[in-house]
Amino acid sequence: MAKINKVRIPMREQSCEKRIKNFDSVPLGYSEEEAMAEAKRCIQCKDPICEKNCPVRMKIKAMIREIAKGNFKNAFFIAKEDNPIPAIAGRVCPQEDQCEGACIMGKTGDAINIGKLGAFIADWAMKNGVTEEFHIKEKDKKVAVIGSGPAGISCAVDLRKFGYQVTLFEALHIAGGVLQYGIPAFRLPKDIVDYELSYLKKIGVDVKLNNIVGQNIKFSELRNEFDGIFLGTGAGAPRFLNIEGEKLKGLYSANEFLIRVNLMKAYKFPEYDTPIVCGDRVGVIGAGNVAMDSARCAIRLGAKEVYILYRRTKEYSPARDEEIQHAIEEGVIFKELVNPVRFIGNEDGWVTGVELVKMKLGEPDKSGRPRPMKIEGTEFILELDTIVNALGTKPNRLFLDKTPELETASWGGIKVDENLMTNIKGVTAGGDAISGGATVILALGEGRQAAASIHKYLSNSNENG
Amino acid sequence: MIHKITRKEDINPDDYLIEVVAPQVAERFQPGHFAVLITVPNGERIPMSIQKAEDGKITMFIKRLGKTSRELDTFKVGDLLESVIGPMGNPPEIKKYGNVVFASDLVCGHAENYSMCKELREIDGNHVISMQTFPSSKDVYPEEELCRDVCDEYYLTTLDGSRGIKGHYREILKDMLDKGKVDMIFAGGDIPGLRELAKLTKPYHIPTIVTVRQIMVDATGMCGSCRVFVDGEMKLTCIDGPMFDAHKLNFEDIISRLAMFKEKEAMAMEHYKKGVE
Ligand SMILES: Cc1cc2nc3c(=O)[nH]c(=O)nc-3n(C[C@H](O)[C@H](O)[C@H](O)COP(=O)(O)OP(=O)(O)OC[C@H]3O[C@@H](n4cnc5c(N)ncnc54)[C@H](O)[C@@H]3O)c2cc1C
Ligand SMILES: Cc1cc2nc3c(=O)[nH]c(=O)nc-3n(C[C@H](O)[C@H](O)[C@H](O)COP(=O)(O)OP(=O)(O)OC[C@H]3O[C@@H](n4cnc5c(N)ncnc54)[C@H](O)[C@@H]3O)c2cc1C
Ligand code: SF4
Ligand code: SF4
Ligand code: FES
Repeated sequence: MAKINKVRIPMREQSCEKRIKNFDSVPLGYSEEEAMAEAKRCIQCKDPICEKNCPVRMKIKAMIREIAKGNFKNAFFIAKEDNPIPAIAGRVCPQEDQCEGACIMGKTGDAINIGKLGAFIADWAMKNGVTEEFHIKEKDKKVAVIGSGPAGISCAVDLRKFGYQVTLFEALHIAGGVLQYGIPAFRLPKDIVDYELSYLKKIGVDVKLNNIVGQNIKFSELRNEFDGIFLGTGAGAPRFLNIEGEKLKGLYSANEFLIRVNLMKAYKFPEYDTPIVCGDRVGVIGAGNVAMDSARCAIRLGAKEVYILYRRTKEYSPARDEEIQHAIEEGVIFKELVNPVRFIGNEDGWVTGVELVKMKLGEPDKSGRPRPMKIEGTEFILELDTIVNALGTKPNRLFLDKTPELETASWGGIKVDENLMTNIKGVTAGGDAISGGATVILALGEGRQAAASIHKYLSNSNENG
Repeated sequence: MIHKITRKEDINPDDYLIEVVAPQVAERFQPGHFAVLITVPNGERIPMSIQKAEDGKITMFIKRLGKTSRELDTFKVGDLLESVIGPMGNPPEIKKYGNVVFASDLVCGHAENYSMCKELREIDGNHVISMQTFPSSKDVYPEEELCRDVCDEYYLTTLDGSRGIKGHYREILKDMLDKGKVDMIFAGGDIPGLRELAKLTKPYHIPTIVTVRQIMVDATGMCGSCRVFVDGEMKLTCIDGPMFDAHKLNFEDIISRLAMFKEKEAMAMEHYKKGVE
């Protein structure tokens, strides 16, 4: 038996000096040889614990085995069985908490780079024009999917495979949800998202952009027209702090900052029309993926000093490890144990800084992380000319306000049962709309579960269906 | 959806009218709604008030201001817009108000003046008074685009007195308020002008609802760019508005935030001019 290689085949990346001037992908991807070498490190466990820790239970072991043998086509089909978007999941999953976190190789050396192998195999298929082949047995029932984020995409794909006539409604002029407007291209290149979306159209999903359900098309109309509905509307509304100074110019919600940059391509202004104003000194409040993405966008927009302002310490950040590491390499400065008290502006109404108070860590809270506590009398001012508030999001009330018949949970999200059914028969929901903000892969898993639930519901409601 | 321009005319030296095919918007339009336009593939999303919605088409009045509005001005009948999205916003209730005024002194206000008066007049018990102010006679819109035919009582004013009554609509309104003739006021147009209006009507305790323009990105409540403060509480112009209680609005903040992208807008205009030359 060959000697076990405990060290990962390194991922080639754009150099730091170069990448902070562009929005191109930071990781450059494995070559075929590199992927095979990395795959060969996998010891093909009898009981692959990695798979148990993948929210969609990808057949990781089999996929890696096929990669190791150079059977890329097979590997791709295996990946696709459980994950309709491996190219995306491989790039954005918090692997250290999921598949890779469990990988046995991680106990004595580096875990197998499962995420990047998944991305490799999907990229390989895209480059070589390999797609799944399946025969759709058409059914005459119609299902509406609302929202084109990962939950909506996966739900639509599965429903199509079951044979339903699927219409996908998306509020924005570009489909993809957070994959498109939130996660920047240097982490998730947009040609990959576009490719997955073109696949939707290819299998016959009718994608209707600029359709804001509840606003320019009524939910009741959809209920009349469709036999089943999936709500994958996400949790896309920003949360503000409700402290002094939120009116100031130069203060953005992370959503605004990222939508301008990613969806509207403000980083290509004036070639693209939507502007963004980003100063030299930028403070980002929060330390999750959204905060890291905002900070790294600010660096790329030319900011000289970018701070992450976090009330806990780095090790408690909910962001992916790779993101934190990349952010630090790119010069993002972590200011730990601080909390904003108020925003300060000048007489022209532009933000000039933030007053922060120092924090200390107390007893663990519900999340298991230590509760941050204010240290009285430690307020100080940090001068900034741009502030991005990345304190999480909540469900968009645009849809919920117009659908009082839909039951919501106390935190404001849509309420569902164990089959992801809402209180309305035939209407399911999943993704951030029911969880408030989780991960791409969980949203995707729920999209699939909801598709199965709708299928079951429609099969039962008509024996011949 | 194919958004073809079916009519386009100059209505004064600054403003033009554009009619475009947008069945989904037209079918569901209520006065006070607006549309979001994306004029070219790399374009921004710009909000525009709707004057009329008929036969699957909507009509808007547009001021030549920056890059997008000037570029759109080069479009001709038969050309296509990238997207026309809507209807957007949360329009005010159309109901019986009694003596109800709609006053306007700028492009977008004139559009809403028209659509609101037309609907308000359909309600029994409403006496609809429309007021429109233009700087000078050369700026007055063509007769058929004015609100004269969609209201019960009409006032046209110019600031220099070259046509209609001399002065601003506020002066006529003050007169009416003094006579106790007004139950409800709607208005749209220049934001500092609306601030003056709020100051004028407040002592009379006449409800005053005005249209707010704030910079929008998505216009679906996702970004917070269009936030305004009503009695200190944050509201979103796109989904809570665009019409708000003028007596509760913080106009200073609105005016300040509207200038956030001034430098960039000038850059966009420069870049556009260079490309055209
Ligand atoms: C900046 C950022 C970075 C992130 N990074 C990561 C990461 O690295 N890894 C990870 O796993 N997760 C990450 N997440 C979280 C992850 O993206 C979300 O959990 C996931 O996208 C949720 O998917 P969804 O399909 O439920 O909703 P979304 O992706 O939010 O999609 C919802 C869609 O519904 C549309 N919609 C809403 N209302 C309506 C309506 N009324 N009518 C029609 N359409 C409507 C929206 O426009 C949107 O396109 C990140 C999130 C953000 C914001
Ligand atoms: C609800 C609503 C209805 C509107 N209705 C009309 C209308 O009927 N006719 C009309 O001519 N204009 C209307 N506007 C304003 C219109 O959207 C802006 O004039 C347009 O975006 C300017 O684009 P530009 O590239 O030509 O100019 P820019 O150079 O981009 O902007 C010039 C100025 O217009 C304002 N502005 C810029 N972008 C926006 C924006 N997204 N939203 C609001 N104001 C902005 C700013 O004060 C800016 O300084 C409306 C705005 C709102 C919010
Ligand atoms: S989907 Fe995510 S968790 Fe599952 S194997 Fe792929 S990268 Fe790992
Ligand atoms: S746990 Fe690690 S080594 Fe074992 S099968 Fe999974 S990837 Fe391979
Ligand atoms: S325009 Fe984004 S919230 Fe109103």
